[in-house]
Amino acid sequence: MTTSRAMTAVLSVGETRRPVLGHAALAVLGVVCIFPIYWLYATSFRAPEDIYSLSPFPWPLSGANYATAFQVLDIGGLLLNTTVMAVGIALGQLLTGLLAGYAFAAWEFRGKQLLYLVFVATWLVPFQVTMIPNYALLSQLGVLNTIAGVVLPSLCSALGVILLRQHMQGFPTELLEAARLDGRGSWATLWTVVVPNLRPALAALGILLFVNAWNEYFWPALVLQRSNAVLQLGLRSFMGSEGNDWGPMMATAGMACLPVLLLYLVLQKQIVNGFVRSGLK
Amino acid sequence: MLATLAPHEAPPIVDATAVRSPRPRRVGALVPYLYLLPGLALLAVWVYRPLTQTFQISFVSWNLLPTSPARPVGLANYERLFTLPDFGSALGRTAVLILGLLPFTIVVPVVVGLLARRVRGRAATVYQGLVFAPLLVAPVAGAAVWQWLLDPRSGAVNQILGTTVNWLQEPGPAQLAIIVITGWHVLGFAVLVVAAGLAGITDDYAEAAALDGATRGQITRWITLPMLSPTLVFLLLMTVLLAAQWSFPLIDTLTHGGPAGATTNVYYLLWDYGFHSFDAGLGAAAGVIFFLGFGVIAGGLVWLSEKVSIHDN
Repeated sequence: MTTSRAMTAVLSVGETRRPVLGHAALAVLGVVCIFPIYWLYATSFRAPEDIYSLSPFPWPLSGANYATAFQVLDIGGLLLNTTVMAVGIALGQLLTGLLAGYAFAAWEFRGKQLLYLVFVATWLVPFQVTMIPNYALLSQLGVLNTIAGVVLPSLCSALGVILLRQHMQGFPTELLEAARLDGRGSWATLWTVVVPNLRPALAALGILLFVNAWNEYFWPALVLQRSNAVLQLGLRSFMGSEGNDWGPMMATAGMACLPVLLLYLVLQKQIVNGFVRSGLK
Repeated sequence: MLATLAPHEAPPIVDATAVRSPRPRRVGALVPYLYLLPGLALLAVWVYRPLTQTFQISFVSWNLLPTSPARPVGLANYERLFTLPDFGSALGRTAVLILGLLPFTIVVPVVVGLLARRVRGRAATVYQGLVFAPLLVAPVAGAAVWQWLLDPRSGAVNQILGTTVNWLQEPGPAQLAIIVITGWHVLGFAVLVVAAGLAGITDDYAEAAALDGATRGQITRWITLPMLSPTLVFLLLMTVLLAAQWSFPLIDTLTHGGPAGATTNVYYLLWDYGFHSFDAGLGAAAGVIFFLGFGVIAGGLVWLSEKVSIHDN
């Protein structure tokens, strides 16, 4: 109790008209949060002989670490594989979510609540609980160590279904009704009326799913144990317990983050809103 | 008490859905099921089938090789699990991890959120952009840069602090490092969730209370925080359910559960049983226990969140 009193006393100071403390708190937090990312890129651009330098600005700039990374790893191939994986997963989840969301938003049918629960409940089943049977099935299908093996089990996500259902419930019924009176079937209505009108929402959700898929670690680590065919796993080859080659390691890490961070630079608001409204998986 | 004055509007963590209106009904009765089919089929194959199989495997002894037969052993895996010291200690370490993350997912975000309530405009966007960025860093890339920062000889952390701690090779520091790195990843997200929650609280009650002579401290304690409670329960739920998942990539790349098992939490233990010891039965039994345990905890927290919402109404 006393601690909460003390805390609220401190807090109240900030709620003045000119929120100096607020700016200070956010600025400190911002610097703390961004520093490791800055340090990652700063190290990656240092000349190899300056790697251990603690000067805040890398100078002279050097691309040597990137050159080494490209020699050691097939960065182009890894980037391509990672992109194929993330795009495949995002598109799959978008499509299954679109179809299921359409069913939930446009019809009343028996078992609707129960079936919705079937989708939502998957949120409670962590990968680690289902990994052994799934690994065995992928092995039977002969897709271990392939990108397909990573994509297949991830083609449907509760997140996609839940968010698209919400978007479609806000969709004006008159438009659906008009399309029906036009004699269009539900399939044609979905693609000619619903999808074009939901384009911004679909794009925002697609980016969210892409970012999630790009940063997914557990499943690729399991399925691609031998081939290490995506960037995050390739990066691990620099991470021994002894004798790390920090420069190329930071260069590779920088490239593994770059596509998502670039997207973030352009679409900060959409990405932040997407995560804050939907939560994390 | 002032709290009774405060009708509550839940913060928009999830889109408020539009009021449902009647939909066309006379389409063939099977049609909606056909649209659900792809998603349901995928979930059946990749979530519910393996979940049932995990239950089955938890009663057999099997080394994961397709050629070797699985031998039924009844409850032996569960008995073994509860007698092994690993299990209890992994649970304990998961609790430590969750408690250690609460400052990052609740305490700091609430303090900063309250301090920064009146920070608006372009400055706010810039701060947001900075604090949120770590969430978007690929986990292995985050692990890589922290391994570099924490390097005992030349890492920035030891040099700045003037210490010589071997962060990832000693049990205590390694646990702390995993908590801090995980916290760094999710802190900005939590800050923005709290900010969104605070933005959803109307100023009317605070103003009314201020007119009645309430101090700022009283307003924060008895109006703002209670109205924020659904957001806080949401963050608590995420922390409890996902802490072990968030830290998994870091543990797998930085410490491999060590040193001496000091960073082995429940999910890392499952991974270890399944794919290092190749003891599928034991791994499955542990998976079943964790799944049920977390299910109960999640149910409890959802119940709690409904209770706080009603209480504030």
